[in-house]
Order: sequence, then C-alpha cells, then structure tokens
Amino acid sequence: MSSIESITQGITDIPDNKTKKLGFPRYAEYNCAVKYFIDHAFDNAEYVLPPKLTRRSDELGVKYSPESVCFPFKTLLGSMIEVLEAGADTLVMPHGLCRLGYFGELMEQILRDMGYDFDFINMAAYNTGKKSDWIRMLKRMEPHPNVPKITKYAIEGDKMVGYLDDVTERYYENVGFDPSGEMKKIFRRFIAEMYKVDSRKEIEDLYQRTIDAFDSVKLNKPAHPIRVGMVGEFFTVMDPYSNLGLEQKIADMGVEVHRWMNISNRLLHYPGQKNMAVSIKDYTKYEMGPTATANIWAAKRYAEMGYDGIIHVKSAYCTPEIDVIPVLQNLCREYKLPLLCLSFGAQTSDVGVETRLEAFYDMVRAKAMRM
Amino acid sequence: MSSGENRITVGIPRGMLYYRYMSLWSAFFKELGVDIIVSEPTSRETFNTGAAHANDETCLSEKIFLGHVAELVGKCDYILVPRLCNLGRRQEYCVRFMAMPDLTENCFPGQDLHLLTYSVDEMHGSSEKDAYIDLAKQLGFGKREGKKAYSKARKVYEESWNARVKAEEKLYDTDGIKIMIAGHSYVYQDPYFGGMVTDVLKKLDVTAVHANVTNRKRALELSDAVSPTCKWEVSREIIGSIVEHKNKVDGIILVSAFPCGPDAMVNELLMRKINGIPVLNLVLDAQSGVAGIETRLESFIDIIRLKKGML
Repeated sequence: MSSIESITQGITDIPDNKTKKLGFPRYAEYNCAVKYFIDHAFDNAEYVLPPKLTRRSDELGVKYSPESVCFPFKTLLGSMIEVLEAGADTLVMPHGLCRLGYFGELMEQILRDMGYDFDFINMAAYNTGKKSDWIRMLKRMEPHPNVPKITKYAIEGDKMVGYLDDVTERYYENVGFDPSGEMKKIFRRFIAEMYKVDSRKEIEDLYQRTIDAFDSVKLNKPAHPIRVGMVGEFFTVMDPYSNLGLEQKIADMGVEVHRWMNISNRLLHYPGQKNMAVSIKDYTKYEMGPTATANIWAAKRYAEMGYDGIIHVKSAYCTPEIDVIPVLQNLCREYKLPLLCLSFGAQTSDVGVETRLEAFYDMVRAKAMRM
Repeated sequence: MSSGENRITVGIPRGMLYYRYMSLWSAFFKELGVDIIVSEPTSRETFNTGAAHANDETCLSEKIFLGHVAELVGKCDYILVPRLCNLGRRQEYCVRFMAMPDLTENCFPGQDLHLLTYSVDEMHGSSEKDAYIDLAKQLGFGKREGKKAYSKARKVYEESWNARVKAEEKLYDTDGIKIMIAGHSYVYQDPYFGGMVTDVLKKLDVTAVHANVTNRKRALELSDAVSPTCKWEVSREIIGSIVEHKNKVDGIILVSAFPCGPDAMVNELLMRKINGIPVLNLVLDAQSGVAGIETRLESFIDIIRLKKGML
C-alpha cells in the first residue's frame, strides 16, 4: 500500500461534476492570491475564504492541539476549523522543511476525531519529487486540470504575491512618518481590493494606483531615520495577527521597519542558500534550518547597511528559529547592534510586547544618536 | 599520524547521537588509531552547565548535550559534534541535528572548541560513507584509510546492533508484565533523567523492552500503516516497532524530553491511533522529580495489573 493511497482511504470521494469548495488556512494576507488562483484556474473548484484570524481561532487551536507543538500549528488548526464552518469541503494543507511537513497528517487526524467530514489534500503526501505525484495532487483539486490555464493563473498569482509584498514593504518603511494617517487608509483599501480583483489588468492597475497614492502622501521623514530590521520564523514574522501587529507597533514609534522574509523572497524568487552562505561563513558553516541561512544573512546585511537594531520574531517552540538565536546574539554583539528576540504564543500579551519594545527602542535610539 | 607519541584524542560528548552511534564511532577511531575519551555520565552539574550555555527554550536533551561538550573543553584535541540531516527521503532527523555543529559553536562564543564534524545529508548527495571519509581526511588520513576504517566500523556497528536486537526480541517472550518504552535512546538511556523510567520499572518487577531496538528496515516499512507522511527516521522506527510488537506487551510508555519537536506531534498522533492497549504519555522536563515519575508509573502498572486480574 503506498503512502498516498493509505492517507486517502476511507474518505468519501466527491463526484467529479460537483464543485469542490477548497479551504486553505489563513496566512497573513496571502489568501487573496490563493483565492484569485483557485477561482480562475479551476473550473470545478471554488475557494472558501477562511475568516480573519481572531482570538477564537487561537483558542480553538490551543484546545485541540498538543501542548509543545509550535504555535502556527495551533493557529492553522483553528483556521482550518473555521474554514470548515464557513463551508469548505476539501482542505488543502501545505508542507515544509521543518515540522510543517507533519502538520497535515496530525491536523487531519485531530479534525476527524472531532467529527468533521471533509476531503483532505495533504501536500506532504505528494512531496516525492516526482512530477507524476504533483499531477495526482492537482487532480484531487481539479479532476480535469487545464494545464495552460493553470499556468497562466499561477503566474498571475505569483505577480499578486509580488505586488502584495512590495506594497507591504513600502508601507512599513514609511508609515511611521505619516502624521496624516493617509498611508494607513491607502494600505487598508489596497488589501481589501486585492480580494476583489478579477483580472491581470485589475491587479496591475490596483498596484499602480496604490504606489501613486503612497507617493502623494506628504511624509516628515528625516534624512537618517531610525531603522530596524525584522527577521524570523516563516509564519510568525509575516503574519500580523500572530505577531500582534509588531511591524505596525515598531513603525508607530517613528521607525523605518524592513523585513526581507516574505513569500516572494523566500519561496517564489529565493536566490538560493549557497551565495547567502558565503557572506555568513564566519558565523555558520552549514545550513542550520529552513530559514536559518536567510535570517542570519538578512541580519548581517542590516548590520552592514547601518541599521540601528534587529528584531527576531518566532513562535513559541519553533525549533529551528530557537537555534538561530545564539548566532544572532553573536552577530549583534560583534556589530554592537541591539537585538530583541520575541517569542509569540497563547500567553503573549500586547502589553508585554509593548514594554519590551519600548526598552528596545530606547537602546536603538541611544545607538542612533551616538552615530 | 598513528605513530606512538603523536596520537590524536577525540572527545565524545555523552549525549544525543552518542547513544545511536557510539559503537560506530569507537570502531572507526580505533581502526584509524585515534584515541577517544567520552564525557562522564550526565549529572545535575552537566545539565546546569549546559543550560547556562543554551537558549532557554531549547530541549532538555540539547542542554544536556552542551553540558557534555563543556566538560570536554581542554581535555582533548577535538570534540566530535556531527551534523545529521537525513539518510534519505523520509529518513530525516530533527532540524536541531542539522544545526548541531554551528549551534554548539555559537553557544560557546569566544571559545575555540576545536570541533570535529562530519555532515550526512543523503538527499543532497552526502552519504554517511562520504562523511566518514571526510572525517578521516580532517584528521590527516588518506581517502583509502578512511574508506577502510568506515567499512570495518560499519560492519562492527551492524553486528553489535543485530546482536542487541536479537537480545531485545527475546525479552518479548519472557513471563510477567512487559512494558514497551518508546522514545529516543538519548532520553531513556540517559541516567540523569530518562534512565529513571527503567529503574522504576525494574523496582516494580516489570520487564522493560525498548521500541527503538528493533529491525530498523522492517520498522520503517511498518510505520507507514500508522503514519504515512512521518519523515523522521527514529520516529518511524519507533512507530514501526510498536506496530510489530504491540500485541506482545502489556502497555506502552511514550517517553520524551520537553520540548521535543518531532515527539510533540508524533506522540499525539500515537495517543490517538494506538488502540486496545494502555498507553502512558510521559514528558520529562528539568523539574521532573523521581517521586512524581514513580507515582505515575506505579499507577500505570497498577491499571495493567488490574486489567490482567493480578490485583
């Protein structure tokens, strides 16, 4: 019995002619691109948007998860429950290089034990490196895939992610210097409209309109603003809900925030580890984990570019990022850079983060003033 | 290199992979004429020293490991800290084993540890054999010497392992209550913390068998029936062994160190999927006292005795 057959056993097959309602967990605002892709590329599937993550998603996740699993598992489990409630009948779970590769199997088991009925497409089960297995996976989402159409919309989805990351990057670099509050409004409108776009032209127009609107905002940004670089774990560093809106909090202190880690840079257009590894060879000899090389590389780059501080963000119990911390500590010691390491879990409170952030800001400002 | 006075001494930290690979390492270094010293068995002191070097959130086993490394500093020419990513697809190790040499180095800032390392990453073209040849080269030996030492050591390793498996299999036929300990060898074999599980079971007159001491190849195959996408080799060996031996034991104790990445998930899955036999999920942390563990094990064994009509 092959592993793929065994995992699909006992699952009611949904007849070909019925439209599948695909659910995919909430992941920052990237769901707009997933939605666009699924709604356009597939004829027999529609996308069910999971509700925005809330306290309830976490509470559901925490209640049904093992204790010392990393927090994204809990959040994603909560999100999966909410997308089932929203009407999804087929869940798609991505895989990854760390424990993420095992999320799918345990999540499916927990959801079935809870009594939910659904079709589960665990991408980890098809991760054999064989093209035929990818096609088998695709066929479970769309029985008769139209490959040229899928390719077209995959490219457009990729573009959307690129625009989203670009706009997000520009936003956090500048919003701290906009007393009018206009940037915030533009950014919010952009995100809301990203879930409504219907064609490549609409995507491109929206992007251009947003950039132009950003440019027209009058900023009071000094020539040498305080700059902070944010690095960290793949999920928590990108997801504003999970990191309690950390990027916005830092920006609101009048700081330019930069975060290299996003889907475009790490996943879709990753330059590869090898060249990154060269520049950090004084700190690490080998790749230490799925995002370790990129994070250490980014931190070093921030240090060399004269940033005033580094913030490392991860969820509680994230094994690979726990192991990155000692390296960042050594790096920041050498560059005499303040480093703040934040670990987010169910107990992390807004007040706690703000207090630590204020203390960090004082150090960062003191350093910036010495320069 | 192997002549009398200029002998090299390699220090081996008694933690983590030590419990899986010691016989391979000792045979390999013996064949090359390299001396080895092993750090002392774990004590409270080992743990405290390691914890002082480690990040707070890291697992108990890593803290202990760093304590062993600290003990070896200055006592040998090199300290062996291997990197083990995988031995093939779905034969992966926890990401911490991939980070181990760099992590160790970075946990001792400003100190030159003289780490000796090798990297096994079969999925990216670096086999165990290549890694050992590289190890020999680092110590000044030629490729041929390295190759020869590896194949000899590998043979010794396999023979000693097979003998251990054979002895373990016999335990399933003994009379009385038999309990399977399912966990990483570096957890349950460490005398300072996991070791107390075996000690308590012995006191309770129970035969302990160890899930991971099993025919590994068969276990990997059998594990798919319970966990088709599990990618960690040791977890799969344990799962497969449970599938194979479940009906020959009276209960299973899942023993893990807090917080263990793979175990947190795999043991949860096992608690949900292994039916028809009492299972105890025992997570050990730095605060686990003998008394607390003893009480939990006693009541677990009482339940089994009750079930068997022995109480």
